[in-house]
Amino acid sequence: MFDTALTRSDLIFLAQGAGMTLIVTAISVFFGTILGIVFGVIRYQIGPWWAAPLTFVLDIFRSIPLLIQLVLANAFVTTVLGLRISGFTVACGVLSFYTAAYCAEIVRGGIEAVPQTLRRAARSLGLTWGQDMTSIVLPLATRVALPSWIGLALGVMKDSALVYIVQVVELLKSTQILITRLQEPLFLLMICGLFYFLISFPIARFGGYLEKRWSND
Amino acid sequence: MKTSFLAVGVLAAATVAMPAQADKLDDIIASGTLRCAVVLDFPPMGSRDADNNPIGFDVDYCNDLAAALGVTAEIVETTFPERIPSLMSGRVDVAVASTSDTLERAKTVGFTIPYYSFENAVVANEKVEMATWEDMKGKTVGATAGTYEAIWLEGKVKEWGEGEFRPYQTQADVFLALSQGQLDATVATVEVSEANVKSGNFPGIKIVDKAPMVPDYVALITLREEYGLINYMNLFINQQVRTGRYAELYKKWVGEGEPANLTIPGVYR
Amino acid sequence: MFNYNFRWNQALNSLPQMLEGALVTMEIAVLSMAIGITIAIVLTLFRLSGIRALSAVAATWVEIARNTPALFQIYMVHFGLGGFGIHLSPYLSLLIGIAFNNAGYLAENFRGALKAIPETQTRAARSLGMTPIQAFHNVIMPQMLRISFLPMTNQMVWAILMTSLGAVVAMNTDLYGVTSDLNARTFRTFELFAIAAVIFYLITKAITLSARLVAARLFRY
Repeated sequence: MFDTALTRSDLIFLAQGAGMTLIVTAISVFFGTILGIVFGVIRYQIGPWWAAPLTFVLDIFRSIPLLIQLVLANAFVTTVLGLRISGFTVACGVLSFYTAAYCAEIVRGGIEAVPQTLRRAARSLGLTWGQDMTSIVLPLATRVALPSWIGLALGVMKDSALVYIVQVVELLKSTQILITRLQEPLFLLMICGLFYFLISFPIARFGGYLEKRWSND
Repeated sequence: MKTSFLAVGVLAAATVAMPAQADKLDDIIASGTLRCAVVLDFPPMGSRDADNNPIGFDVDYCNDLAAALGVTAEIVETTFPERIPSLMSGRVDVAVASTSDTLERAKTVGFTIPYYSFENAVVANEKVEMATWEDMKGKTVGATAGTYEAIWLEGKVKEWGEGEFRPYQTQADVFLALSQGQLDATVATVEVSEANVKSGNFPGIKIVDKAPMVPDYVALITLREEYGLINYMNLFINQQVRTGRYAELYKKWVGEGEPANLTIPGVYR
Repeated sequence: MFNYNFRWNQALNSLPQMLEGALVTMEIAVLSMAIGITIAIVLTLFRLSGIRALSAVAATWVEIARNTPALFQIYMVHFGLGGFGIHLSPYLSLLIGIAFNNAGYLAENFRGALKAIPETQTRAARSLGMTPIQAFHNVIMPQMLRISFLPMTNQMVWAILMTSLGAVVAMNTDLYGVTSDLNARTFRTFELFAIAAVIFYLITKAITLSARLVAARLFRY
């Protein structure tokens, strides 16, 4: 099984693909989280009725296969609008909103988990809304939301395997390129799968550990 | 008098605002770069060498076209379905990507005259009893999704009313499935089939027969309205054949033998 | 800008084909959920069994399902098993791939749900003379499924979305497969995928709404 034509330069090529997977994930999770926090707070703050349009738009990202979102966004931006935008930008853009859509739910859930009485107590002590949000809600909501957020970030990393469709050469795509040349599909795919697993598994475990630890007190 | 002054003024302003309409051909020459979309998982037309750099017939063809235009070539990797979006978005100027010139596609993009022509072979798993292409009837067959041969084969399976058609995403997947015995047979270009049988990467496959499709003519594509560029490329293709470069590239990438005739007897163009 | 001519008519002509594909998509999602829930319950029992080998099987299954891309899992069902001479049609490969993924995630949900059920209940049931299986089946499982109802609905939506990955195993009768097939012929990418997106949206909405109705009926106290 390990009798392979894989050379060092191929391994570097694979590593570049893996690097692309991590970059796309990092950018998308970063912007997705910021957007998600903003959307989540807005949704909580203005109530379900006024937030309905926002909820609707975010819901679309959770109701359509990511593959179709990518194809559609790419076709829209490039062929309909005729903009010169790289596949990388399209991929990061779509994945950011995709992340934000899920993150907004997590943020809202986190805020709702903070007891109302506690917040009223804080406000009655003279804290402003901003102080209440940063000193009371933020630390408490983070405890509730962080494990889910870690799950989301890992989900985005796994889902980023789909950005090959807009010409981004990430891990799975670079694996496929090597498969085409070396014709050792199963071996190469095992390497690819192992990589995802090695990144995802420890972080997922850490998330589970946090959840367990923080839910005790 | 006053109005005519005004008219002249407006006209002058318009001329300043919109300088002579430069078309894509002018743009390419002015920018000094020709960006070609090439499919790189389609050997021998496009693939990657040991350092994962693009090589192949289409890659050389793009380089030749760039040289003729006096510009440098830039190869942009594309998949079969992504050819059109990358053209429309201006990410590339032309696609040198073995695009079959179907009437359906010509509704959306502009085709040149054919620059290459494929013949297709029927390749089968050795364990399957097959003598001619017609033995594919009732079998499980497959091809690379979105290609000319896939569309033909799917049509045949529908016509026969038995058997199953499977469109895999890449050529490599098709041959893997064939080698594993998941597919009984496939239709692929003679070039690809021979290369794959010879390489030994896919044990247990054999070439059975030629597929009876009309030759699969492929053309260069660009935006539908870029007549200047299409005209230029038509002449370029003509010159490639005339100067013997076409035969030279054929020998380099495909092998010994006569390259396919790109004319059709009995009809213009 | 906007030198693109929409051809909605051409794309809309394909609507009947796409709706047929949507039926296949829903069929796969429903079957994969049924299989996934069954396996997840078995995996949960494995974990509860206290037998090392069985819990190892369950743990491996759950970790692989949760820590690799679904695309990878589906591909491996088709080509990985194919390497061992086990040939599955595209339909079965996709179905089993999604069911594998569903089972992994659901087993994890069930584990979370079990934590919410006091252990004293099992002991009480056992002291009433029930066997461990009876206790699980009659007392614990109904509560477990009730607590995990929302996650199960989410997983169902995921199953619908995952059918779009079938293209890697040559699946061409589901909604995504039909759409990309039409796209290869006509290159009307935007129009075709926009229609597919609307259909997907309607399907997932139908699922979440009906789940809410079902939950309202089932879980009235």
